[in-house]
Amino acid sequence: MSPQARRWPRVLRTLHKRAVLPLFALTIGAVAGCSEKLQGGKSCPLLCPEESLQLRDTILDAVVFDTTVMGLPSIGNESWLLLASHGDTLDTRVIVRFDTLPQTYKFGGIDSTIVRVDSAYLRAVIARDTLHPPTAPVTVELYDIDTTAAGTDTVAAALLPFFQPERRIGSKTFAPESLKDTVRFSISNAIVLDRVTKGTPLRVGLRLVSAKSAELAIQSTTTGTGMTLVFRGSLDTTATPVTVTPLSHTPLNQSFLSGPLADYVIVAKGGAPTSPALLAVGGVPSRRTYLRFDVPPSIVDSSTVVRASLLVTQRPTPIDRTDSITVYPVAVVAAPIVTDIFTALQFLAAPGGFGLGQFRTTPGDSGLKAIDIVSLVRTWRGATAVLNPRVLALRSGQEWQSGAEIDFFSTRAAAPLRPRLRITYVPPTSYGLP
Amino acid sequence: MTTRMTLSREHSAMRSALVAMAILLAGWLAGGARLDAQANIGSQGFGYPPGQLSARAYASGGAVAEMDPWSPVNPASVGMLGTRLLVFQIEPEFRTVQSAGGTDRTTTARDPLVFGAMPVGQGWVVSVGASTLLDRSAATEFQTMQRTGADSVGVSTTFRVNGAINDLRLAAAWTPQSWLRVGVGAHALTGRNLVSVLESFSDSTAFANLNLQRNLSFSGAAVSAGAQLFTKTVLAAVSVRHGGSMHVSAGDTVISSANAPDRLGVSLAYTGIANSAIAVRTSHENWSSLGGLGSAGFRAVDAWDTSVGGELAGPRLGAHPLMLRAGARRRTLPFQAEGRQVDEKSIMGGLGTFWAAGHVLTDLAVIRASRDASLPASEKAWTISIGISIRQ
Repeated sequence: MSPQARRWPRVLRTLHKRAVLPLFALTIGAVAGCSEKLQGGKSCPLLCPEESLQLRDTILDAVVFDTTVMGLPSIGNESWLLLASHGDTLDTRVIVRFDTLPQTYKFGGIDSTIVRVDSAYLRAVIARDTLHPPTAPVTVELYDIDTTAAGTDTVAAALLPFFQPERRIGSKTFAPESLKDTVRFSISNAIVLDRVTKGTPLRVGLRLVSAKSAELAIQSTTTGTGMTLVFRGSLDTTATPVTVTPLSHTPLNQSFLSGPLADYVIVAKGGAPTSPALLAVGGVPSRRTYLRFDVPPSIVDSSTVVRASLLVTQRPTPIDRTDSITVYPVAVVAAPIVTDIFTALQFLAAPGGFGLGQFRTTPGDSGLKAIDIVSLVRTWRGATAVLNPRVLALRSGQEWQSGAEIDFFSTRAAAPLRPRLRITYVPPTSYGLP
Repeated sequence: MTTRMTLSREHSAMRSALVAMAILLAGWLAGGARLDAQANIGSQGFGYPPGQLSARAYASGGAVAEMDPWSPVNPASVGMLGTRLLVFQIEPEFRTVQSAGGTDRTTTARDPLVFGAMPVGQGWVVSVGASTLLDRSAATEFQTMQRTGADSVGVSTTFRVNGAINDLRLAAAWTPQSWLRVGVGAHALTGRNLVSVLESFSDSTAFANLNLQRNLSFSGAAVSAGAQLFTKTVLAAVSVRHGGSMHVSAGDTVISSANAPDRLGVSLAYTGIANSAIAVRTSHENWSSLGGLGSAGFRAVDAWDTSVGGELAGPRLGAHPLMLRAGARRRTLPFQAEGRQVDEKSIMGGLGTFWAAGHVLTDLAVIRASRDASLPASEKAWTISIGISIRQ
């Protein structure tokens, strides 16, 4: 055996001792650790027919009941307080209540009785619409709404007479470009002092005046602090300003009702009820629409729905015709025992809930529109209509923030204009067997 | 000469193009949903048959399968095991499928074999184990356009199958004479194919994804018997499996029935060299009996599996003998690709040794396979098979 040949066994032994066992363990580890990757498809359709499951498409007259309810969110529960002035079409006013006013103020860390009022104003956070600013200067007028009459202090007919020049307690004009996030409305020092010293409520009505159609949405106490009354209790400018947040004491001893009424909106002009032939969303007072469906079990239960679109025919409305408005299809989460539609429409899932999206349109638009509701329709599968009512609500994303209203024809309109349900589905199929 | 070769190449290319066009046309004319196929050549139908070979037998081309106690093929071979034994095997396959549409590279993880054996009484050995009969794991993704009323939408479909038909075997072997070993086996063919279809749509705002799942369960039975005859230089082995009825069910509903395939296998080995064997094997499996298990029009084909190979005692690594193995195999796969027979040719090699004073046996096989169905697509695969046995 040559020296080279004799060297081999020694090399192998060394290799074995030092490397073979770890190498073998490493090989097993590497092979066992291979992650599976099965995805293929480039050889289709040669080796596999590129055939998806067959989709079927149908349009059903599935809406068996529809109606529009006006005044939701209800008075006092508006997330925004809409001051609108659209000539004879729409005119809204805002009422804010300061039913308790402090009678002392801090000066040098000591409480002092208020005997003078200086620099009184209302501070308001507004929804700044940079896309649609007012086209002309707007004036906000403040009126003394000196009434606490039980039962009528939220009624427009009873409150509108208070908007008279002799009751005006403040006024401020804003150039369109000056409307930023927060605005101040000056208010009569004398009126504030009068209510402070007498210990009576201060209730202020706001009105928007402009040469052109204009709107101003003010944050309400439902979503923030609302408008606050700020004044100094002394002529001394170093005195700490007094800040008062809205508060309502009426209806008496019914805090559940009186609380929200710290600020609210009344409608002076407009606000006509929706025609039975129409379904409305948004507008003033804000409207919501309720629809109930009847879908064959062969589709909703036995098949797999991949698309469900509510087909509605839009009718143009005049206010803010070109403003883009978001319509949310939302699930009604009220229990089936709630049969009152007004009540049921107050129990809605949050916009975007249940996987539902949104639909954007402008009030001036018209024609056939499709609102996608597939994720809601899928929740109807396997559940009886008693347990899971097949209902849907439509609401505006700008409730009480815009006067814009979106109208669709209802089931009481002419047949071609009625709402329908378009469903694309995969019927029950057997698959998987080669 | 050159001109003739060029013409032949052109003719071949033209024929391939015509075949592809014919298949496309047939698929288009057939219409209707048929979500079932895997995007490869080897795993059509109910899947790819790994062969029920141990890593040792695989490295020898499968030629020693009838006399290999680790391969659950011939129940008589279990009788060769003189001690209690546990075996498991891992066998990933790295597959490349090439076609005009591009190249797919996939990795399929398999654990095709696990079993234990134990001597009982004088000359008797029993074993129980499971092996993969048909592995259907695959996923196919493709895009189509579908009409929905007046408009259409893009659909991305992912068809995925996970699972296999497994062969659970209880076997017993008896060695009545030093030159004879016989054995019998009872088989339960079980397993499932978890089939899922995911469809997503190009318009994701209006359409919601579709995700369907179906669990196809398999049940069936078979019996097997085998014998081995020894001389000093030759070992002959034969085994036969007879399939009973077999069913596919979804939930509690039987959706199709057929017979499990019969199989007949013969091996002949020359053992005249110490610690070495050179063998040849052929087996025939009548997969066509599975035809009724699929949907209408589905068919499987009977197949021959022929191999030659051997193992030789290699150099010793210290106290450990090293076995070197090599082989070649040719077989027909049971399920056709687009109506064409699939042939598989493979060459393989490997080695084996033991550790821990002979208590741990390890075998490694590396297989290069090429599958062809006379289609304008090719499939090649590397398979690494590692078997580990622990014996008393």
